Order: sequence, then C-alpha cells, then structure tokens
Amino acid sequence: MSILSWLRTSIRNLLGRSTVERELDDELRAYVDELAAEKARAGASPEEARRAAVMEVGGVARVKDQIRDERPGMMLDNTARDLRLGFRQLRRSPGFAAIAVVTIALGIGATSAIFSVVNAVALKPLPYPNADRLVFITSQFPTLGFDKFWLSPPEYFELRERAKSYTDIAAYTASAVNVSDGTRPERVNALVITANLFDVLGVHPRLGASFTADEDRPNAQPVVVISDGLWHRTFGGDPAIVGKQIEIQGRKRTVVGVAPPGFDLHDTHTDVWLPLGLDPANRKNRGSHFLYLVGRLKPGVSQGRAQSEMHALLQQWGRITPGIHVPNDSTHKLQIASLQSEVIGNVSRALWVLQGAVTLVLLIACANVANLLLVRAEGRHKEFAIRTALGAGRARILRQFTAEGMVLTVLGAALGLALARWGLQALLAANPDSIPRSAEITIDPTVLTFTTVVAIATATIFGLAPLLHLGEHAVAAAIKEGGTRSTHSVTRHRVRRALVASEIALAMMLVVGAGLLLRSFRNLTTVDAGFDAHELVTFGVVMPIASYPTPERRVQFTSDLVRKLGTIPGVQSAAEMTGLPPNRQVNANDTDMENVPQGPGLPALNVDYYQYASASYFQTMGIPILKGRAFNASDANGSGVAVINEALAKRFYANTDPIGRRIRPSGPDTAAWFTIVGVAKDVKQGGLDQKVGTELYFNTEQGARIGGNVPNAINLVVRTRRPLDVIAPAIRSTVQSMDPALPIVQLRTMESVFGDSVSRQRFLSQLLDIFAAVALVLAAIGTYGVLSYLVTERQREIGIRVALGASTAGIVRLVLRQGLSLSAMGIAGGVVGALALARLTGSLLFGVSPTDPTTYVAVGAVILLVALLACLIPAQRAIRVDPLVAIRNE
Amino acid sequence: MPASSTSLLQGTLDLLILRALSTGELHGLGVSRRIEQITRGTFSVGPGSLFPALHRLQSAGWLAGRWGPSETNRRAKFYKLTAAGRRQLDVETGEWKRIAVAIAYALEAT
Repeated sequence: MSILSWLRTSIRNLLGRSTVERELDDELRAYVDELAAEKARAGASPEEARRAAVMEVGGVARVKDQIRDERPGMMLDNTARDLRLGFRQLRRSPGFAAIAVVTIALGIGATSAIFSVVNAVALKPLPYPNADRLVFITSQFPTLGFDKFWLSPPEYFELRERAKSYTDIAAYTASAVNVSDGTRPERVNALVITANLFDVLGVHPRLGASFTADEDRPNAQPVVVISDGLWHRTFGGDPAIVGKQIEIQGRKRTVVGVAPPGFDLHDTHTDVWLPLGLDPANRKNRGSHFLYLVGRLKPGVSQGRAQSEMHALLQQWGRITPGIHVPNDSTHKLQIASLQSEVIGNVSRALWVLQGAVTLVLLIACANVANLLLVRAEGRHKEFAIRTALGAGRARILRQFTAEGMVLTVLGAALGLALARWGLQALLAANPDSIPRSAEITIDPTVLTFTTVVAIATATIFGLAPLLHLGEHAVAAAIKEGGTRSTHSVTRHRVRRALVASEIALAMMLVVGAGLLLRSFRNLTTVDAGFDAHELVTFGVVMPIASYPTPERRVQFTSDLVRKLGTIPGVQSAAEMTGLPPNRQVNANDTDMENVPQGPGLPALNVDYYQYASASYFQTMGIPILKGRAFNASDANGSGVAVINEALAKRFYANTDPIGRRIRPSGPDTAAWFTIVGVAKDVKQGGLDQKVGTELYFNTEQGARIGGNVPNAINLVVRTRRPLDVIAPAIRSTVQSMDPALPIVQLRTMESVFGDSVSRQRFLSQLLDIFAAVALVLAAIGTYGVLSYLVTERQREIGIRVALGASTAGIVRLVLRQGLSLSAMGIAGGVVGALALARLTGSLLFGVSPTDPTTYVAVGAVILLVALLACLIPAQRAIRVDPLVAIRNE
Repeated sequence: MPASSTSLLQGTLDLLILRALSTGELHGLGVSRRIEQITRGTFSVGPGSLFPALHRLQSAGWLAGRWGPSETNRRAKFYKLTAAGRRQLDVETGEWKRIAVAIAYALEAT
C-alpha cells in the first residue's frame, strides 16, 4: 500500500471515526441478518434463527475490537481511547489519583529542578566560544601549602613568550572599586586585565571595543569597559556612553566599551574592567604574585600536551632565568586546569550528591505509586473478570492499565515541571551566591528532554506493576475466582513488601546522608572562630588613592573614623582591620624573622596573613591575648610593634619565647624591624572549615612605620548591643560626615558574615533535609498502605483468631510484626546502601565521619519510629475487627 | 478456524479470501460460505477472523468494498478483488504451491 493511501485511510479512520464505526456496525448487523435468513431458510423459526445467528457471531464488541486493531491509524486511536478510559477510571477515584499525581509530581519536580542546576553548572560548557579550549593557569607552592596561587607579572610574560600550546594567554586580578556617575558613588567588582583577555575568551563588547595594546601600557590614558548591568543601572543604557568619562576611584576614565549582557569570568560578578598596564620590560617584581591566567589552547592541542609542555618549561625555567622566585618543578610549580572545572570547583560533587538524592526520592515515589496501582489492581479483580468475559483481550486490559499509568505520569510530569520552576526560583532566591554560574540556571530544552525521559522511565516502572500482577496466570485465576481473593496473593504480597522494604531502604540512605550533612553543618556553625562574633556589626570602606594619596592621610582618616564610630551611642568599641575574618584571601608574605633558623626541612619564612589593625582590634573582636600584650594607644608614636597568632608562634618560635623577638616584611635590609609584643589566640581566616594559617598583626596607627603598606581598603567592626537597623543610620551618617564620596559596602552583622561563609553547606544541607523528609513521608505512606491492605485482607483470619480467643495485644503484635519486619529489612538494606555511598559523601562532610555510628543508629531509630506510626492505624483497625462480621463477610 | 491462528494460517486465510473473491463480488457471509464450499468444508471462517482479514486486505488495497442490496434485499457490504488484489492472488498462489510441494517433499523424505 502506498504511503499516501495509508495516510488517507488513517486520516479517514481517525477523523471520520463515527462514520467508520457506523459502517462497521452496519456490516456486522448485515452479517447477522444474512446468517439468520440462512437459518430461517433451513427451517428454523425467525426468533430461533436470529438467536442462533447472534450466538454464532459471538462477542460483537470483540470482533469490532479486532477489526479496529487491523486498521491503519488505529494504534493512535486506541491509545487515545485508552487514555480517555484511563482518565475516566481515575476520575472515579479522585483520592487515589490525587495522591499518585502529587507523588509523581514531587519526584519528577525535584529531579528536574536539581537537574537544571546540574545541567547549568556542571554539564553546559562555559558561555564562551570553544570554551573547552580555555584553561586556567595558577601557581603552586607545595612547601608553603599554597595551591591555586597567583603568578607574578614576570612569570606571566615569560610563560606567554615560551609556551607554544596557546593561541594566547591573558592575565587578570580581581578587585573592587568605587564608581560614580558624578552624583552618588557605588561600590562594584572590578577585573583588572591584560588587553587580550576579551580576545582569549572570544567575547566582543556589545558597544565600542575592548582595550587596545596601547591602552594597556603603564601610564596610558585611563580607560574602562563597563558591564551591561552597570550600563543600564547607573548610566540608563545611554547609547552614546562610549567616549564619555566616568569616575572610578575618584579618577576620570573614558568608557571604551560595554560588555555583552551576562559576560563574566569565574563568577566574579564584574561590573568594570580596567587595563592592568603592566610593563613587559620590567622583570623585577618577581615575588609579587597577584595574577590569575586564562589561556586558550591552540586547536588540536590537548590539555595533556599543554601540561607536559609546562612540565618541560618548569625544568628549564631556572636555567633561562636565574634568580630567586623563579618557577621550578618542585617548590614553585605552575599548573593547568580546564577553566570549566576551575569555575565549578568542588560544587560539582555536591550537585551530583543532590542529583543522586532526588533520584532516590523519585524511586521511592515510583515504588509508592506502583504499590498504589497494585492495590488498586487487586480491588478490581471482578472488573477484569467481566471485561474478559465481554471479550476484552489480555493485551487490551494491560493497555488500559498502562494508560492509567500514562495519564498519571503525564499529569504528574506537568505538575512536576511547574513545581520545578517554582522550586528553582525559590532556591535561587534563597541562595543567590552559593552556586557558581547561578545566572545560567534555567529550565531549557535539555532539562525538558531530561524530564520527558524521566517521565517515560517512571511510566515504565508503573507499567511493570500491573504486569507483575496481571501475568497470564493471574488473569486466568481472576476469571475463575470471579472476584474472590486467592492463595497466590502471597506472590503479590511478596512484590509489594519488597517494594516497601526498598522504599524504607532508600529513605534510610537519604536520611543518613541528610543527618551527616546536618551534623557537618552544625559542626561548622559551632566552630570556634577565635573571636566573639555576637553583637558585632561590620562594613567596608575603600579610600580612593586619588583622594587619599599618602599613608599619613589614610592613617589619619582611619583613626578618626574608628574614634568617631566609638562615640556613637550604644557602641561599646570600634576597630579597623584589612582582612575580615573568617573568610579572607591568603596573602602569603615573605617575612624576615630575626634569629629564626632557616634551611632545608625547616618552614620557609613566609606568613600566610598580614593583618593591619587598629589598636582597638583585639578588644573589639574579643580575641584573647595569650601572652604579652595587645597594641595600645601609646604605640601610635612608639617604636614598631607586632602581634603574632598562636600558629605563627608554634611554627617559627616553637620552644622559645617570641615576645621581644623582631620581625619585618621582607624587603631592603635597611627596613625597620617590628618587635613582637604579644601572642593572640588563633582566628579563622580562610574559612570556618579550614586550618588556621599563620598571622602577623601590625598596628595601623603606626602608619609612619608601616609606610607604603598602609591599606586603602579597610574593614570596620563595631561592637554594639543595638540591632543592625538601629545602628546602621548612625554608622552611615558618621562616614558621610567625614567624606560624602565614600560608599559604605556590606554593612551587616558578623553573624550574617558567618552565615554567608557557610551558605553553600547550608544550601546543600537544607535541600537534603527536604528530600529526606519527603522520602520519609513517602516511605511511611508506603508502609501504611501495605499494612492496611494486609489488615483488610486478613480481616477474616483476624476475626477467627479473635473468635478463638486471641487477645488485643496478640492482634496488635500480628500487625506490628509485619510492619517491623518490613522496616528491619529496609533498615538493613539502607545501612548497606549508605555505607556504600559513604565514600562519595565523605569529602562534603566536616567533623563527622561518613560512617558515623551515632547518625546511623539515630536514623535507624527514627525510621523504626516512623514505621511504628505507620502501623498504628492499621493495628487499630485490626483490633476493631468484629469476628462475626468478618467471618460472615466472605 | 480457531482464534489462535498462526501467521502461516493467517496467510492462508488471506489467500482463501482472495481466491473466494476471484470469481466475483461477495458480502461477508458470502465469502464465508464460498470458502467452505471451495475447501469442501475443511475451513469454516467465523466473523471474528473474517472481518479483520477483510478490513486488512481492503486497507492493503487488494479488495474494494461497496454497499449494495443482498439477495434477501438487505443493505450489505460487498467485496471484490482489485487489480492489485488479483496480482497478489497470483503471487500468493505461487508461493503456496511452492510451500506445499516443499512440505510434501519433507513429509515423504525418509
């Protein structure tokens, strides 16, 4: 048959369905009529002939069914009919339908929501052309314990000249600047870059151009590229912005370009790009590491090849460029990672754990719905028997079942997608910065495809449930039984019990995971940061070098500000510092320490953190001084003093008294020494979950001695009992009164600083908590369903037992034994599963082992308790069984 | 013919229907009776097998249907072979003969 005629017939069959049906009826009626006439001719009475003819033809419905199956286009029609029937059947039991649809929606919704995060963050390539060829280059100092450290400008130039694997390498460093359109200043993130960065990334500004090589020279005309966001936000999307001047750090800069919307590098949320203006001829400042490098590999060059080239370069580097601070392949390495893996960082493991968790939830949801369908199937024995007797084939009945599953899945998937959308928005609103690339997270075609695949898989699992139930044997038995229950319900029980036991096992795995993360999170939040974070308010200020050019001017402003803040009513004390604990970037400073032995095997004379702080710092922060003294007011005009932390004392002054020893930033031999006057308790600097690094405190008020190191970006901290919204206006007006052009950034409580520093862990923990709770509820519903069905089914048996004198306790025991044996199997399975997954989750935990026995026991107890609760209602029903009614019932 | 006909038997049914209609157009019961007649009563085709087959053959383009008055003056659907149906009958007849000979050989082989 030609495609065309097939199509025509199909369309006629589908569209003109009523005509076709009528013709079919007519044809069959004519057949019966002819047959009756034939029999009448043979001598039968008209009535008898008719009756005989009808009997001979048999089930007219079945014949029609078979004919329908033969016709082209009918596959579709049958499916449509099955779906309609599925709908009708579900409408008749809205309670079941609602529970099933919501369960599926939860499963599919959660799976899709998390997948859209995984997809955007871990799977999708970075939003640059040929992003797979972009690599991130950092330095590594194994002996100092620094990984992913910066490079110095000479290292950058040398690498760029010598390496052959790259089309080009760009360098950048992150910063933050004050931007003003002339009226009100704004604090934004800046990236100070080499002119080729845009080209290396393959991105072109939407307006104007990126920097030329001339604009990226020392003392070049000041220029800037601004972000699309800043352009709209602050400059009203001015189409003539290119060529205009804007004020950055108090200095006028000409806008040369506007970056395309969404352009960013490494989640820096950059609004302003400035040229680095490095001098390629200056190869002196070798120790000043502050550059991150982004390289684009030449087409066809693999990362592995670039890696081995780098290895070779490191080996000869010292021969070509002798001197100190030269990269080598032991203590001062350079390393390559794909930009993608660098941006995602360690989040991808957490994301996959979440994806695994939601998949478990989905599986539990599937098991639950399959269970519901099974229970339903059992209640419909009679219906099948009638349908079979009326001539419905087995395939037909199976199809009806699958159709029901399909209707459930389609509804569930639609609702699930809505849930996913809504959940995703809620998720991102609650945790905007805890996920990298969060701006790229959407429900895109990939996610939709994923959801579809998941839905099909889900429907298949449901489809299996009736299959298990409706084996040939079951149908035959159903017809014979005509609705009564039979012995082989034992097999069915086994299937259902296995389903529920696996549900409990999966739930156990999830709850163990959630419990471990919850404990990690609690450990993190109760970590001793080394200072008293309560009743502290903090904010940042950056003094533009243009208006605060000299150290004296900056010290003056800082001490005035600290003093004025201290006089605000309700403020107990105020202090200033450069790096805000507990989360600051390591600055790794080479440091001279008088009479501290140096040599192989001994720690290199390098201090992880320099902290320039006002004299009031230790008191305001509540950092105990363990030995010696803190800075005091008389230090401002006295000789150079320093305070060290315990870690520094232990590292370099083990078994000796550091007080009175001298220390100074490495530099010219003539530089002044600072005498150590005190040892402070360790404070977490690099994150609550990180080890404390060595720290050296200088007193900002000794500006004259610190010299050029007096910082222009400072943090302030105020100890007060007043709430933030009460104290904030006073802080703002104090700063404004001193310099109206200074923006205040990140004015918040220290507690919220802590909260933000663990936001990713909190995010992960919260999500897992939700999933675990859903899993627990679903498993409880599953247990409840199986037990209550069991009680209904064994009503007669229970009745007999009661009649024979079984006690109430005995009946309760009967039900509980069933429930508890199920949960015991589930818990055993769950423990095995959780232990198997321990290896995966281990790296996400803090201060708790992935096989922590306390958690396992506690979770097992919770599961048991939930299972017991799920047994209660069925047990109560069992007690209420009236033996007389129960026995008569059957 | 029982409902659990195998594919070979189904092929046979198609062949029988085509053959029954080769001498002229017939309605449903007519086809059934004609098959009984030409197979000397060996095959009796009930409506459960007959109508699906008729519709299948019509969909395949081998039969054409038309409504008309039966011998008892009732409205009935009459089927007749199309040109394609005639060709199909030749093809299937040849095929069947080949199988029949082959099976006969197989049964006679020692």
